[in-house]
Amino acid sequence: MATRKRTLLKVIILGDSGVGKTSLMNQFVNKKFSNQYKATIGADFLTKEVQVEDRLVTMQIWDTAGQERFQSLGVAFYRGADCCVLVYDVNLLKSFESLSNWRDEFLVQASPSDPENFPFMVLGNKVDIDGGNSRVVSEKRAKTWCASKGDIPYFETSAKDDLNVDVAFQCIAKNALKNETDEEIYLPDTIDFSSGSTHTSSSCSC
Amino acid sequence: MGDPDSPYKIRSDSGEVIESRFQPKAGKVLSEKKWRAAFDKQGRLDISKVLVRIQGGGVDPSIREEVWEFLLGCFAPDSTYVERATLRKSRREEYFQIKAECQKLDPAVGSGTVVTLPRVGENGPVNDIGRESDELPRSIVSLIQQDSRQKENNTTPLSSRGMDDEQTSHRAQFDFSNRVTAGETQNDEDARRVAAGNSTQENKVLEWKTTLHQIGLDVVRTDRSLEFYEKPSNLAKLWDILAIYSWLDPDIGYCQGMSDLCSPMVVLFHNEADAFWCFERLMHRLRENFRCTDQAVGVQKQLANLGLVLQVIDPKLYKHLDELGGGSFIFAFRMLMVLFRREFSFSDSLYLWEIMWALEFDPDEGHPSDVRGKQPVIHVSRHPIRDGWILRRGRTLYKWGKFERQNIKYGEGDAHEIPIVVFCAASIFESQRLRLQGAVGLDEVLKILNDVTGKLDAKKACKEALKLHKKYLLKAASMGGRRH
Repeated sequence: MATRKRTLLKVIILGDSGVGKTSLMNQFVNKKFSNQYKATIGADFLTKEVQVEDRLVTMQIWDTAGQERFQSLGVAFYRGADCCVLVYDVNLLKSFESLSNWRDEFLVQASPSDPENFPFMVLGNKVDIDGGNSRVVSEKRAKTWCASKGDIPYFETSAKDDLNVDVAFQCIAKNALKNETDEEIYLPDTIDFSSGSTHTSSSCSC
Repeated sequence: MGDPDSPYKIRSDSGEVIESRFQPKAGKVLSEKKWRAAFDKQGRLDISKVLVRIQGGGVDPSIREEVWEFLLGCFAPDSTYVERATLRKSRREEYFQIKAECQKLDPAVGSGTVVTLPRVGENGPVNDIGRESDELPRSIVSLIQQDSRQKENNTTPLSSRGMDDEQTSHRAQFDFSNRVTAGETQNDEDARRVAAGNSTQENKVLEWKTTLHQIGLDVVRTDRSLEFYEKPSNLAKLWDILAIYSWLDPDIGYCQGMSDLCSPMVVLFHNEADAFWCFERLMHRLRENFRCTDQAVGVQKQLANLGLVLQVIDPKLYKHLDELGGGSFIFAFRMLMVLFRREFSFSDSLYLWEIMWALEFDPDEGHPSDVRGKQPVIHVSRHPIRDGWILRRGRTLYKWGKFERQNIKYGEGDAHEIPIVVFCAASIFESQRLRLQGAVGLDEVLKILNDVTGKLDAKKACKEALKLHKKYLLKAASMGGRRH
């Protein structure tokens, strides 16, 4: 295997069905929006190279199915995540209220070594709809929630109009990288994905 | 024969769509002429005359609707025209009666709309359509939270369907109607249940209502590249059928992926009730895949089977994937969940499905026994003891699909419980084995499997699946033999 230094950031997108997870991923990676997306079955991912300060990193963005009843599959997909993006629809209260559940479930299933400091990000999507007149979750309310969960960074986005998508993902990469660097020192590049059980060595940080 | 894609026209404004590859060939595909010739005067179908064609070349789209009803077991091949007409009539009545029941519970059903917003919210039921009187009393809304947790313990096995493979669709209908008027049977135990009773029914209604918007969210994202779904009434039809199914099968309810399976029925069948019953027969085979608990999704059983099959036919590849941490085969989740709908174009997935169903065809499976008064079939176990098989070896066997015949000939133990779709998935793994052997991570495995999208040939996949199936059965038998 090549020994070149390659940083891979695994990012998981979670949130209720239909809030725009696939659209956000596609807008960021492919610069495209379609009205004809299909509901995601299981999970899928896309990759994109991004520049974070002076480093070139590969973001591997995992898009998941939104129906709650698939949560048991989380273990398989969340393993080794460097950042978790929680998405809701600003026009739909329930999708906002679900954020807590998605966050908790992620922490249980992914069981990151330092859950207190694990990087999350919240995106309030679909701000374009009806010129913002149909929104039911205010920016203030969302920010208050984010603050209460350990200052989660928050962005308001429109995957359709490509509003704030790049900025948000850039921030995701930056935060994930902060988390990732610790691990990288201790893990050989080639086993980054091979098996969850090899991660044990990374907890020893001194 | 015409353009095979013409019934399933793609919108001109659709973006990237998987291209169709399957080329039905004259002399290979089951034509209308060949199909009609397989019926006798009374309308009994000699299935052996058409299975070979379907297995080798699919079905001409112009007769697909009729053929699928036999392949999926809506009708027995040896039923007559008259019997089928009677059955169809009663089924349609049945369906519209159930639909009316559902309409009473939620006026959105049958209204021509698709619900995408939650019907039950934190402040009680949300009813954007219809009359006030249709709303549920506020008191039961608080049950939502408890309800979802209690679901597994609480649900009585309302359906005997699924326990007995030979259960017939007609019987299933009666099960259904019993369920609609749940808790009103005479026996003591049921009477006790009724006492506890009404709240169970109310819970059921509430549970159902909470899934309605999920169905809608998926319906508006299902096969939207087809011109067919530009018409709102067609979207509404898909929504209605899924809503009604989820009411009738509360153990499964609605689960993402089901809209992918139901959509072709809505496109194919002119009559909504006929589409419903065909979908119901398909779900009869697949519903266990959609059974979700806190621990697992039902399809994982088939994924485990995929692992089992690969372990036998290609231990080297299996070992490699297992060492990468992929022993659960979760990366094949989508393939099995929606029967390759996402790997093939709309048109090609229909060919794939009918070829698979023809290969799996079992004349004793699924269709109504009350029509013919058939004896129950002793299921294939260690020895092929199917009704009449030993006596009429040869000719009779042509009434079974090739895949089933292999099960009968070479199958041991539980071999027959692995459906062909698992072997189709295995064939795709095998076709990519060199790349998969070189994969260093599970993400790469998923990427390789995703890359096959749009590049697969339905007929070839089935042909390979059949070969692997035989290899699996023979190897598994010899391994079993060694163990004894």
